[in-house]
Amino acid sequence: MAGSPAIRFRQASVVYPSGVRGLDRLDLDIPHGDLVVIVGLSGAGKSTMLRAVNGLVTITGGDVEVEGRSVRSSRGKALRELRAGAGMIFQDYRIVRRLSVLQNVLVGRVARVPTWRQLIGMWPKEDVELAFDSLDRVGLVDRAYVKAGQLSGGQQQRVGIARALAQKPSVILADEPVASLDPVTSRRVMEDLRRINQDLGITTLVNLHFLDLAKEYAERIIGLSQGRLVFDGAGGDVTEGDFAEIYGRHMTADDVLEAQVAL
Amino acid sequence: MSATIVARRPGMPRSLWLGLTLLILLVWSFSGLEIDGGRVAALPKTMARMFGLFFPPDVEYGRQSVVPAILESIQIAWFGTLVGAALSLPLGLLASANLFPRATRLVKPLLAAVRAVPELLLAIYFVPVVGLGAFAGTLAIGLHSIGTLGKLTADVVESMDQRPIEAVAASGGGALSVLRFAVLPQVLPEIVALWLFRFEISLRASAVLGVVGAGGIGGVLLNTLRYREFARAGAVVVLTVIVVLAIDAVSGSIRERLVRE
Amino acid sequence: MSPRPEAPARTRRHLLTAAAVLFVLGLTVWSANGIGVSLVELFSNLGRMGRLIDDSFPPAWSFWPRLIKPLLETLQIAIIGTIFGSILALPLAILAARTVSPSRPLYWLNRNIMNVLRTMPDLFWAMLFASAVGFGPFAGALALTVFTVAVVSKLTSESIESIDMKLTEAVRASGGNWLETVFFSVLPQALPQYVSYVLYALELNVRASTVLGLVGAGGIGMVLNTQRTTFQYDRVTMIVLFVFLVVMLIEQLSAAARRRLV
Repeated sequence: MAGSPAIRFRQASVVYPSGVRGLDRLDLDIPHGDLVVIVGLSGAGKSTMLRAVNGLVTITGGDVEVEGRSVRSSRGKALRELRAGAGMIFQDYRIVRRLSVLQNVLVGRVARVPTWRQLIGMWPKEDVELAFDSLDRVGLVDRAYVKAGQLSGGQQQRVGIARALAQKPSVILADEPVASLDPVTSRRVMEDLRRINQDLGITTLVNLHFLDLAKEYAERIIGLSQGRLVFDGAGGDVTEGDFAEIYGRHMTADDVLEAQVAL
Repeated sequence: MSATIVARRPGMPRSLWLGLTLLILLVWSFSGLEIDGGRVAALPKTMARMFGLFFPPDVEYGRQSVVPAILESIQIAWFGTLVGAALSLPLGLLASANLFPRATRLVKPLLAAVRAVPELLLAIYFVPVVGLGAFAGTLAIGLHSIGTLGKLTADVVESMDQRPIEAVAASGGGALSVLRFAVLPQVLPEIVALWLFRFEISLRASAVLGVVGAGGIGGVLLNTLRYREFARAGAVVVLTVIVVLAIDAVSGSIRERLVRE
Repeated sequence: MSPRPEAPARTRRHLLTAAAVLFVLGLTVWSANGIGVSLVELFSNLGRMGRLIDDSFPPAWSFWPRLIKPLLETLQIAIIGTIFGSILALPLAILAARTVSPSRPLYWLNRNIMNVLRTMPDLFWAMLFASAVGFGPFAGALALTVFTVAVVSKLTSESIESIDMKLTEAVRASGGNWLETVFFSVLPQALPQYVSYVLYALELNVRASTVLGLVGAGGIGMVLNTQRTTFQYDRVTMIVLFVFLVVMLIEQLSAAARRRLV
């Protein structure tokens, strides 16, 4: 394990069937336990980069390796196995509103529990216990039996985080996790992600639009533009000039969370 | 709203054309149907006399012959709808373009073809195969229900929130897990409500299947009217209306509860 | 670690679910029994099915010239039922719209009568009218008229209830009486929807009119009934194909017209 990094992009390219290039020959190593923030304009390939890690998009050139295993050559059971090891958090939460919070979190166990047990809802005790532990980490244990649709946006996102945690993942992929949330809730969610990263040592990749949040929480910042790597540096070192380079323009109020509060 | 009023053109040549077309169709239709003024004028009296003969309905006949026949119609509608629903669920999922982009191109036209043949015509083909009676009617209702419910199921699945599908897949779930956690919880209440709605419609359909010998109350009405036993026909009409109203009310309130989140 | 919440007391829900399942199961067993459902019967009759298919195919192609006139009669029945039913439905719809209806009791009475009318299948009406005015297309046209009134007035009254009442208030404020508000505000707003319901009713009526003849109420169904009772299934199939074609054609036309309207 010490030999290979948690995630390795090797000349990884993604070209969508429409011809749009999502990722362009990306070379990158992400060591175990890092919290990496990816910034860039929308359409720069941030989402594609995360989805290449768990095979939700088809890699068309090069490869991505997770714990030394090739994503591109994983199919069927191997691919599901790989996805089970990577918890994903979405901008729009992607929880099922009609299911209870607990059931939503148990979805994180689908790759580990026999299908017939899932179908009739007979979850093993230890998986339910694990779901509760995950809910505990995001402070929602007391809402376990509430319909997920009744929660606020911030709470729904924390259910999404608990679902990812329930997978006991080695990697967390968070795709614009705070883009739909207000500034205060955004910070709360970022705190959760950082705490999980530090407590459990889970390698974490986060797409962010807000630059100040990125600077505050990232150990390392990756800049993407048109699917290419244009910046790679420690979180604290980034300057406004670097951002101007990544974004191809100067920072505006739209790019800063604090400015959003003032607005 | 005000925009539509402003946009209405003066002169209205289109409605003039429409009116003219309607008039021609009407004249043509009348000329074909030997309808004369005398018969139309006599209509209120004729109907009043017949409905007068319905009352008081023949209660004894109602109890002995009408109620069992109505119950048979309910049985036909219930069992036919249930079997149709059970078969329509997998077919409806296969017909959903978002879940099965390839299968949908085959299954959708198939469902449309099944749906296009009315229950009565289907029953005409089932009667020689399984004989006169309720079983033929049940098969007709069931087959037609597959067509209508399959299509409506696909409509519901195609308009649901698609995003949880990716979430379950991202957790490493296979097709069955996606179905169990991302699809069914979202659509099942609506689909069961559709089944109930279809049962209400099936009941009306099964009430007339008797005219081709496929069981239920329809044959009873046809015979009582043929022999001009109007008090007995009255019992059929009154009981049918009461039963259908009651079932509609119960089924409707269950449907409302189902789709409330 | 936070304490785990108790799973909510679900005994009531479980009881309710169990009761529902039992009810559904019971109803199903009762139905299957009453009908005499039997897979054995279905499969042991596969031989008869083979014979039926033999009898039904190929369809009696040469039978088509004798279908033209009955088919036209079918369409005429549908047209008369649609037009007269729709004309009658409009005033009834206005009376049945809660927001516009001039009188509470009238609204209530009308609604309930319409609800009762709708419970009767179209073929029931056909049987009743055939019995009252005699066999033939007149009975069919009357049946479809009643059916159309029930369907179109219900849908139109719902549309009227959802129109913008501010305009109606405006007409009333400028001194219009009830009839004037109906003519200058309610009708113009509800008209496009009404027309699309009329077209919808036409589709339903064309479909329904093809089977009216099974109970003697005119149209191609009468031919169908004769061929059916004499077991000439090659002709039955020809009729069904013919009907299918025409119904599809008219539905396509009507659907296209409705799309342009809405």
